[in-house]
Amino acid sequence: MATEEKKKELLEKLRNAVIQYDEDTAKEAANEALAVGLEANDAIFNGLVSGMVEVGKMFEAQEYFVPELLMCADALYAGLDILKPHVQQLDLGVKGSVVIGTVEGDVHDIGKNIVKMMFDVAGFTVYDLGRDVPLDKFVQEQLRTDSDLVCLSAMMTTTMTGMKKVIDDLRAKNPNVKIMIGGAPVSQDVADKYGADGYAKDATNALKDAINMIESLKKMKDEVEAKKAK
Amino acid sequence: MKTSLKRELRDHGATVVGIAGLRGYLSGEIAHLDRAVSIGVDRKLNEDTLALLVKLQKRTVRFLKARGHRTLAIPPDSDRKKGTFISQLYSLFNHKMAATSAGLGWIGKNGLLISPDHGPRLSLATVLTDAQLTPDRPMAHSLCGGCTLCIEHCPSGAITGADWSRSQPFVEMVRLADCRSHKMNKRKTEGKPNCGLCINICPYGRQNGSNLRHG
Repeated sequence: MATEEKKKELLEKLRNAVIQYDEDTAKEAANEALAVGLEANDAIFNGLVSGMVEVGKMFEAQEYFVPELLMCADALYAGLDILKPHVQQLDLGVKGSVVIGTVEGDVHDIGKNIVKMMFDVAGFTVYDLGRDVPLDKFVQEQLRTDSDLVCLSAMMTTTMTGMKKVIDDLRAKNPNVKIMIGGAPVSQDVADKYGADGYAKDATNALKDAINMIESLKKMKDEVEAKKAK
Repeated sequence: MKTSLKRELRDHGATVVGIAGLRGYLSGEIAHLDRAVSIGVDRKLNEDTLALLVKLQKRTVRFLKARGHRTLAIPPDSDRKKGTFISQLYSLFNHKMAATSAGLGWIGKNGLLISPDHGPRLSLATVLTDAQLTPDRPMAHSLCGGCTLCIEHCPSGAITGADWSRSQPFVEMVRLADCRSHKMNKRKTEGKPNCGLCINICPYGRQNGSNLRHG
């Protein structure tokens, strides 16, 4: 087992590899972490993800721009690919599955991919429909996979309106599913108007909200089942 | 810093290195990285050209990052991993633009970068950065002159014969569909889509004959 000091050093190395968008170092640090017996979970969350959270802040502060953000995400995945097979059990209190995609007519999927990455990291089962996804497909996929959560993304105001239709159709088929929307033109107002359960302005918030939602959903299910049992 | 970067890259196998100033020429996503380090390696039938370019590119990234600058490495065209996040931005930028802007050469009638010393025989990689390196003088127009060898030898007649100039970037020089369909035919008959006659025939960079290849 590694000493505390060595652990700390490796977590810092993973974190900095993501911030410095250095794929090679991310891989190297991930392998070292496994070699000294650092828990994969620990390495992912206190190393890689901690770095990505910092990157998110830098992006918000306009210190980093789109290219840096993308390269950081690549560095995170480089480390994640090595660590993920060694994850014993991700314990976030919640496990969920999510259907995610960019709505019909819209090919902008950078934001969607970053949100997807956060779900991946958190151990969700992710059904990624990609971009320019026909509206019906979201409903079909939710029914097929019985996912707890559907995430819709749109970059343009013209395609954003498609979200409303998906939300209405999903509600008609399955009132319990939680729906989150995101993308440049989306705001809390839009989310309220369209009847979405959540709106997230960035990937970190999306993950937090998603976990809260799934928690409340599971609680609701438990309560219903408890009543039935009586 | 510019001199030591150039020296380091040459010492490690770069044939040519130039710095391009690109302020005002880049799309919004990458506009803050307004210098390009353009790296050329003479192919010379060298199978390791690609590996060498990738190494030089990494070296450039390390050099600039160590000095606190940002970098975006645009890999050689034949070494692009698909499916990474950053690969979505590669299409925003092209190596030949960096090379001509850095004064390494011009765009020949065959649509390729022609270096005065190495002709169309350079493979290119680019590193964009925000380090304010002094740009080299960009190439303004073609030095192909009256030479029409590549036009005469092109088996698919794809070369229009137009002369490149920096001030008129949108002139069609090679009819890509013709060039491509010829190469696809070669793939069918010979198993490989290789042609390259317009490279072999170019008199630039061929003086000593050591680079001469017969197609």
